[in-house]
Order: sequence, then structure tokens, then C-alpha cells
Amino acid sequence: MVIEQDTTFQISEVAVSVEIETPDMTLNIGPQHPSTHGVLRLIAKVDGEKVTDVKPVIGYMHRGYEKLAEVRTYPQITSIVNRIDWVSGFANEIPFIVAAERLMGVEAPERAQWVRLVLSEMARISSHLIFMASYPLELGAATPLFFALRARERVLDLLESVTGGRFHPNFNRIGGIKPVYGSGPTTKKTSMDVPAGFLAETRDAMDKVLGTCREIEDLVAGNEIFLARTKGIGVLPVEVGADYGVSGPNLRASGTDFDLRKKADYLPYDQFDFDVAVGENGDCYDRWLVRLQEIREAVKIIQQAIDGLPSGPIQAKVPKVIKVPKGETYVRAENPKGEMGYHLISEGGSGPYRLKIRSASFSNISMLAWILEGAIIPDIIAIMGSLDFVLGDVDR
Amino acid sequence: MTPNPSDPQGEVEVEAEAEAETTEPDPLADFAASIAEAVGAASHSTEYETIKIFVEPDAWVDAVTKARDEFDLAFFSWLSAVDWANEVSVGDGPQEEVEERYEVMCALGDLTDGNLVIFSTSLDKEAPTIDSLVDVFQGAAWHERESHEMFGIDFSGNPDLSPLYLPDAFTGHPLRKSYPLLSREVKPWPGKVDVEDMPPSSQNPEA
Repeated sequence: MVIEQDTTFQISEVAVSVEIETPDMTLNIGPQHPSTHGVLRLIAKVDGEKVTDVKPVIGYMHRGYEKLAEVRTYPQITSIVNRIDWVSGFANEIPFIVAAERLMGVEAPERAQWVRLVLSEMARISSHLIFMASYPLELGAATPLFFALRARERVLDLLESVTGGRFHPNFNRIGGIKPVYGSGPTTKKTSMDVPAGFLAETRDAMDKVLGTCREIEDLVAGNEIFLARTKGIGVLPVEVGADYGVSGPNLRASGTDFDLRKKADYLPYDQFDFDVAVGENGDCYDRWLVRLQEIREAVKIIQQAIDGLPSGPIQAKVPKVIKVPKGETYVRAENPKGEMGYHLISEGGSGPYRLKIRSASFSNISMLAWILEGAIIPDIIAIMGSLDFVLGDVDR
Repeated sequence: MTPNPSDPQGEVEVEAEAEAETTEPDPLADFAASIAEAVGAASHSTEYETIKIFVEPDAWVDAVTKARDEFDLAFFSWLSAVDWANEVSVGDGPQEEVEERYEVMCALGDLTDGNLVIFSTSLDKEAPTIDSLVDVFQGAAWHERESHEMFGIDFSGNPDLSPLYLPDAFTGHPLRKSYPLLSREVKPWPGKVDVEDMPPSSQNPEA
């Protein structure tokens, strides 16, 4: 049977003669939605598929850490601050500890600073690997999750072997780091900080992480669907990012090479050779690529650090009861999510008079309304996922 | 360092820094001085490597705008406040008497040299009102909402000062020093007591 093409009807002749009216609809996303990484709620006004206005609602995770810090002593606060961004708990402690040390005029010994640096970079790797796992998943690709989480588990095992905690290490002390339990008092110069075999295992794990980066790149970077969902989507110019205080990989993907590891002196990064990953277009794809590159750079830093780890004490001499002299300082650090800073005001007591916590994710998502305006509904998920925020870091 | 808390370690530090300033040029102090002069600030400080510029509330928006346009401080880092009070219902109060006021701070950075400057102004406690920065930095909107609910400071010109973190029915301003922490009122903080010694173990016979 031959089907003859019906030539009496031409598509081109059909013209839409009526404007289809699409009344604005309100679309509620969250607070319980997998793509919001916790409890973020978006109230979106949509015109058909197009988003015309977005109102983010936060605060579901607010724990009042700035108030709680005022009733705690300095050593107790480290256990609070590593719950701010729980995906990279270790990195949250560093700027707070450095701020307290700066006011006290204490500096941690070199070895302690290097161990801090190694573990901070491990926190960066584990945080970025979570992103490598979750972001393709949100766009419909489940497989990268298994690659990423397998490598992350190795990094978390290393973190746990040193600090005793996978997520909340509570490892930094004012003037140094925690010695391994049972290794003797901290005043002894022989206190152990990293367990036996740590350096060899780290070398091994770092090779594995690099292998995982290759696997993820092979799997994701050339995937047509992934490219279509991310290339040219959610473009953020540097000027707008700076205007909102967007920092970290999200800002570097837009083309600036601003990295506090190069500009600030909270840890001895100036002794290491590493590059700052910079994107070009500021779209979702570049934000993904910059983080993948940052994992590789973090591996480079860790490899250099364990090759040249200096020996020596891990604790500077500090009073038994920590009292910080009157003064105020702001210390910021390049955390996996961006600029994390603490404005510490001391009035000479055993706890801070005021501790302002500047967290990266809060500023990073404050521009959600700007970036989502004009996007289409499926891009909401693609854009939000690419910003890599953690609600604990937003709400504090 | 001695464990004596009354030992003025901080002052020694500051004096040492002040001496260093007179002998050799300090880029941080020069930078701070140039900004302070340009925005007409009453005073400035570079203690503990933190640049603070003190401006009058009337000059708040102008100073921040000037810093953004003339000094390339286009990165809006944060905005917050401090409640300076002699009587506190939580934590330790100030050791010396302080002037009762709200201090509003805004930190701006650049994306080239890594400078960060904190602008500071003082508000009267009776009527804490200041012009909003939303027309200068869009990112200020959320930070001002946070300071509004936490300290009760009004930012005139901010179109949306609805609660950011707190529930709608919440009353009071939690980060004010007069605001008690209810869980501490009910039960004193057990962590105030210094930690006990580690239990003796085979690995750690000394403890």
C-alpha cells in the first residue's frame, strides 16, 4: 500500500492568528525538593514555561550560630563552625581559628599549618566530588554519582583517620591542631598528628582521585544532553556576581582569577605551585568544569604538601584558659563554596563579644532572583544545581 | 605568653605595630589613609590587618559609592551590625564601658589585589535608621533584611525588609545584647565548667 502525501494541507499555510493567553501561574518549589540540597523554597511566577519572577525563601535551617557563639568559649566554637557548611566542615574552622590566633598574637607552628592546609584541600576535594555526583544526577545522569562517591569515600577515610570525624572534624586548636589520642600531652614536641601510613595512603588516594576526574570527564564532558542542558545556561557576568557578593568557583567560572588562596595569608599557600581554574563564559558548564579542575589543583597541592611536610611541634604555647585580648579582626578564606569569613570582636572575655559569620552560599544564592529571571522551568534545576550551595551555609 | 588574662598582650602587639609604621612604609596603612581621606572619614584603623573606615551615618551611602567607583572595591562581601551595650543578658559584657550604640559595618573587596575594607558607622539606639545600600550594591538587600530582623535597624530605601530567617510571628531582635537566650535561662550551659581530664587508659597512662 502506498501512502500518498496529502498535498492539500501545507504546514506553512498555518499561521497562529490568535495570541495565546498564558496567565501567570505561581509555581512553588520546595522546601522539600531534592534539587534544593536541603530546605530551600522558591516561589516562582511563570508565564508558560518562562520564569518571570522568583522569590527564594530561606531560614528553614537557621540555627542562630552568631548568637550561640556569644555564649560559648573560643575552643567550643570550633565545634559549631564546622557545622555551617557540613560538606566541607574542616575548611570552616580555619578562618575562625586564624582570627582568634591573630588577636592573641599566636601563630601555629609550620607543621600544624601544613596539616591544616592538606586537610582543607581534602575538604575541597570531598565538597567538589559531592557536586560532581549530584549535579549530573539532577540533570538525569545517575552514573557519575557512583564514580564520585567512591573517590570521596577514600578522601573522607583519610580525613577520619586524622581527625576522627568524617564531617565534623573539630580538629583545630588555637595555636595548633589536635594530637592523635594517646600520643601524649601536646606540650611534648613528639606529639603525633597524623597516623602511621597516612602519607602513603594519601598518595595512593590522590592518584585514585585523579583517575576519577578522568572518568567523570569522559563520562560527562562530552555528553550531548549534559552539554545541551548546561552550555549557555545561567550566564553570570563578573560584575553582577561581584555586586551580589558571589565568590569562589561560581565567580571564577565567569572569568576572574580571584582566589583568596593567592591573595590572603591565612595558610601558607604561597609556598605551593598551583593554578587557579578560571572559566570563560560563566554558564553552568563552566561552573562544572572549574570545579573539576579545582579538584585536580587540590590534588597537586596535597601531593606537594605531603612530599615536603615539615617536622616539628604542632602546638604553639597558649594559656590553659583561652582569653582573647580586646580587638577585632576579619579573616576570610577560600572555602570550597567561596569566601568564608569571620569578623571576630573580642572584649577580652573567654568568648567573643560578637562573631559575624560571612558564609559563601548565602551570598551565592542571594542572586537567584536575578539569574533565574527569564529562564525556563527545567533550567531552574540546572542553574540551582550549578551554584553548589549548602543550606547550612546559607542559613547558618 | 602567660596565662594571666590581665596581661595586656594585645596592647604590646599594637604598640609594636605602631612603631613599625613610623620606621618603614606600611602599604595597608597608606591604602586605608587614602580611602579615609577620599570619603571624608572621621578616622580609620588598620589594627590586626583589618582596615576599618569610620564614617558618619549621613555619609554612609556616599562613602560606599565612592569606594566602589574610585577604589575599585566592587565586591560586596557582607553587611552586618554590632550591638554595643554595657549590660548584656548573654555572654560576657565589655570590660570597659562602651558608648551605647549600634555599629553598622559593610565590607567591600576588590577582585584584583585582595584588599578588603570595612566601612563602619554608629547609629543612635533610640532611632536606628540608616539609608539603604541596595541602589549601590544589589547584594546588600538580603544582608540588610538580616540586620533588620536581628538588630531592629531600619534601612530606609530597602523595598523588602520582611523577615529572612525568623518565622513571621517572631517578636524581638535576637542578636541584640538585651535579648536572652531562652535555653540558657532554663538551664545553665554545662560547658562553662572547664573540661575534665581524660580517663586513664593503657595507651595514655599519664592522664
